[in-house]
Amino acid sequence: MLVEFELIERARSGDDGAFNQVVQVYRKRILGTIARLIGRPEDVEDVGQEVFLRLYFSLDQLRTPEVFEPWLYRLTVNAAYDYLRRQKRRRESRMSDLSEQQVMMADAVAGSKQSDETQRRSKVKEQVEDLLGQVSEEDRILLMLKEVEGLSLKELEKIYDANENALKVRLFRARQRVLKAYDASEDGKKVASERKGLVGSD
Amino acid sequence: MDRMGQFGDDEFRSPKLDELWAEYRSLSPDPDASANFMPNLWQKIEARRVDPVSIFRRFAKICVLGTVAVILIFALSISRIQYEPTFSSNYVDALDAAHAGDYVEVADAL
Repeated sequence: MLVEFELIERARSGDDGAFNQVVQVYRKRILGTIARLIGRPEDVEDVGQEVFLRLYFSLDQLRTPEVFEPWLYRLTVNAAYDYLRRQKRRRESRMSDLSEQQVMMADAVAGSKQSDETQRRSKVKEQVEDLLGQVSEEDRILLMLKEVEGLSLKELEKIYDANENALKVRLFRARQRVLKAYDASEDGKKVASERKGLVGSD
Repeated sequence: MDRMGQFGDDEFRSPKLDELWAEYRSLSPDPDASANFMPNLWQKIEARRVDPVSIFRRFAKICVLGTVAVILIFALSISRIQYEPTFSSNYVDALDAAHAGDYVEVADAL
């Protein structure tokens, strides 16, 4: 726990100053988690504020201060999930308005403006985004919390209120799907580079 | 399912993916919040606090408007009913009115 139980208790009983302190302690960590869960830096603060807003209005439902952190993570997961679902709907409608050529041109313009280091970073991020695009929003969040945030199964159990075996099965399936997509993308890259080599030798 | 429970979580890991996750984690540090984070948060909290009241007000307004509309409809329909000519004559008068011509024809024959 990053804060004393007493501070949580005070925030729960309506002390706005205590709530402010709780937000300030957890803000950076929660924003980081959200940034990695949603993958869009421009919307991180909005989603973060939504998390703390939900926390403010649900603190009275918190049974004991001991379960505060899993509770906060659950709110974070829910807010990220809501955001991803909204984005998916928006993206679908936006992409349907653009022709394939327009999408390719937009990608090319975005790519040419970046430096090498930024390109490498965005390549890794893009690859992770692509791989996570192969699984559902729920599995994406679960994988992120486990693999990137480094949460243990015990912590996930508390956040999801699910038993360990069920979580293991879901994680296993999600990992398999991501691994399959990873192998497919690696094969695709190999084929593309071989083709380039052939074209170069001609 | 039970078989899955016997294993630890690490049996199902992939080194290739682990490397990628680690790189992704190192490339995505926790961002700092902007100076407006807390003021905006409190603004949203205040807006949400006010919200139930405004919802109640809106609901009350809708109820009042609905009641006024129902009263107007009733008033109009009642006044229309009152002005409509009512059938006040009895059956014999009605029969008499319907066969008034017959009497004239009989009187002429005589």
